[in-house]
Amino acid sequence: MEMETIRELQAYGYAFASVFFAGIFYAYVYYLYTSKKSGRKDYEKYANMALNDNLNDTPVEKIEPLQEEKQKRSNK
Amino acid sequence: MQSSKIINYDYSVAKLFAIATIVFGIVGMVVGVWIAFQMAYPELNNLANEYGTFGRLRPLHTNIAIFGFILSGVWATWYYIGQRVLKVSMIESPFLMILGKIHFWLYLVGVVGVVVSLFMGITSSKEYAEFEWPIDIAIVVVWVIWGIGIFGLIGIRREKILYISVWYYIATFLGVAMLYLFNNMAVPTYFVTGFGDWWHSVSMYAGTNDAMVQWWYGHNAVAFIFTVPIIAMIYYFLPKESGQPIFSYKLSILSFWGLMFVYLWAGGHHLLYSTVPDWVQTMGSIFSIVLILPSWGSAINMLLTMKGEWQQLKDNPLIKFMVLASTFYMFSTIEGPIQAIKSVNALAHFTDWIPGHVHDGTLGWVGFMIIASLLHMAPRMFKREIYSKKLLESQFWIQTTGIVLYFSSMWIAGLTQGMMWRATDQYGNLAYSFIDTVNVLHPYYTIRGVGGLLYLIGFCMFAYNFYKTMTVGKEIEEEPHSTSPMAA
Amino acid sequence: MFHWLEKNPFFFAVAVFVVIAYAGIITILPDFMNSARPVVGTKPYTVLELAGRHVYIKDSCNACHSQLIRPFKSETDRYGMYSLSGEYAYDRPFLWGSKRTGPDLMRVGNYRTTDWHENHMLNPKSLVPGSIMPKYGHMFSNVADIETAYAEALTVKKVFNVPYDEIDMPKLGTFEESSKIVLAEAKMIVDDMKSPEVKAAFARGEIKEIVAIIAYMNSLK
Ligand code: HEC
Repeated sequence: MEMETIRELQAYGYAFASVFFAGIFYAYVYYLYTSKKSGRKDYEKYANMALNDNLNDTPVEKIEPLQEEKQKRSNK
Repeated sequence: MQSSKIINYDYSVAKLFAIATIVFGIVGMVVGVWIAFQMAYPELNNLANEYGTFGRLRPLHTNIAIFGFILSGVWATWYYIGQRVLKVSMIESPFLMILGKIHFWLYLVGVVGVVVSLFMGITSSKEYAEFEWPIDIAIVVVWVIWGIGIFGLIGIRREKILYISVWYYIATFLGVAMLYLFNNMAVPTYFVTGFGDWWHSVSMYAGTNDAMVQWWYGHNAVAFIFTVPIIAMIYYFLPKESGQPIFSYKLSILSFWGLMFVYLWAGGHHLLYSTVPDWVQTMGSIFSIVLILPSWGSAINMLLTMKGEWQQLKDNPLIKFMVLASTFYMFSTIEGPIQAIKSVNALAHFTDWIPGHVHDGTLGWVGFMIIASLLHMAPRMFKREIYSKKLLESQFWIQTTGIVLYFSSMWIAGLTQGMMWRATDQYGNLAYSFIDTVNVLHPYYTIRGVGGLLYLIGFCMFAYNFYKTMTVGKEIEEEPHSTSPMAA
Repeated sequence: MFHWLEKNPFFFAVAVFVVIAYAGIITILPDFMNSARPVVGTKPYTVLELAGRHVYIKDSCNACHSQLIRPFKSETDRYGMYSLSGEYAYDRPFLWGSKRTGPDLMRVGNYRTTDWHENHMLNPKSLVPGSIMPKYGHMFSNVADIETAYAEALTVKKVFNVPYDEIDMPKLGTFEESSKIVLAEAKMIVDDMKSPEVKAAFARGEIKEIVAIIAYMNSLK
């Protein structure tokens, strides 16, 4: 390949990255900062993961052990 | 799961790494102080034949400090924080427990290999990647074991969402793996030809390419060892120690992605005015400036976490260490981009300002964070009070003075030397011979040595304090929720 | 979508990896095709010079010396013509260094001689009062590792097609042939030296590290 073409591809790759990642980034910002209002979730509560981190503290969001999940399903 | 009331977090691996952190910290800093004084008093080079010269010891200093001290610190805190924010004890998985122990002992073997080989002068010469291929392979194995450990623990977690610190540990794992593998690609010469030393190898890349890969690694290895896991520490230990939730969890997430994306583009700033393509250099410059945003995002987030609780700064030396650490983080993340501006770099590159910059990051930010983290962990790991608050207070001031002496002397030295190299007389001829520019630096080299020595003394005080805490600190019954208890 | 990433460790890790790997792919990979072309006249190192280069690496001279002349008048005045990418085509690893505690050595072969190096390496202060460079007396007793240097030259010839044994290029040949060439090359340097220890060793067929590193220093032009 000619160096010219490589340079061109590089420039496209670079431009794409900047625009693409910037786009995703701002979408993410929007998503984060509207989450609480729209009732999706409150991100700030995750900060409690560090504060209440004893083994018997209740998790902020509990993971459902596989079996319980299955049971739930079969109960339905 | 029924028994979760009785089981506790298991810190046996964290303890091993904590002790390793302190031992390697002392060794690395002793070598550092020694070579600092060699610059001022060159006779010190020839006390141990070839094994005591600056060239042999400098890689030992950097590698023990980075891969001995800092990396052990990262792992000590991972084996502590990891369990707690995922709410799962290592004891629940015998597999992870054994893996953790193997991780530690294999790592120790690796460090011994590193020390011996660097003393013998077996090195690839690439900065922070000096090890020859047999050690590289051992390191890859250690790294993979750690990776299995991380994802294994995540696999059995009770907390569904990964806390931000865990994000940073994962990024450290991935980033270093990628960089290390690519930069250390080499062909062992003995196995190709049947001649020569079996451990010798030759780089897969030549000249300018080699330089680009090296500084892509060099710059980002700094990111992924000096920055990323240390941010993981502060996002856990500062809120926990102060009892205050992170000022803005959302900001911490955004800074994370910002840092991940921007950092890797900035490596080109090590190669300004060299023979790498111009656009790589320019991009390196620009991205270095953009990098200020995510770096300050994290730092400011930390400082604001203390909002309304500033009296803790007075009462609690650990908070003092952590707040000063984030301040130094802000300081070196603004200094770095300034050095990456092309015209500044023309002056600063190759001078003592660069080691000066590195050390206000490592001593101020990384060192202080690791010290504070281990001291926060100590009462919880050993169920004892911290031995002495007074000692801790004086350590803080001694070390801070050390850092200030270090970077201020290196600033002056760097700028002086840079200016003298380019100074011309009225006819446009160079005004100074090279040795003139060496001789003026003598006082600054001495001050720097003293600064380093102060920091080392402070670190030894920390080691003593930690040891006493471990052995004779007053026993405590219940784990403290936030502020770490300490005897006066 | 974002929330899904946050709670799914595997895809989270993949996302992080993509973000950090992208920069490397764009900035580094493409240039591999370009900058490795040697400048006309650049030749691979002879085996003796390579052995010297290994000594340079073993004692990390690059911790204090750069080999990269930047395109500023103050640098070209001091060290000579600024560096070109192609001049490094045979440098594995590159030795640009990152700190100039001592001067740049990219073209030191143009203005320093065997005799000067011999005295300087033994005791830098004897030539340059106030020098803070270490003394390298041990190079006068350590023997250079010619075999490993040969192994490296042969490896790069085989694996990376470095043009040894081609017209106008350094000869490599078999190990025996190469050893003869190395001895002949070393003899020219030893003849210019004063140290009786080095001369006596050479008479026994031993090449000391100092001879190799001077060969390397002299090749830097
Ligand atoms: C502690 C840092 C240090 C190390 C390590 C070091 N040097 Fe030096 N070197 C200096 C300083 C300072 C000078 C300038 C004063 C002088 O000429 O002695 C210098 C000067 C030189 C010069 C003279 C260059 C000129 O243009 O006048 C040569 C050649 C040299 N060094 C070679 C080496 C070699 C080969 C090694 C490795 C074996 C080495 N140096 C290791 C600091 C160092």
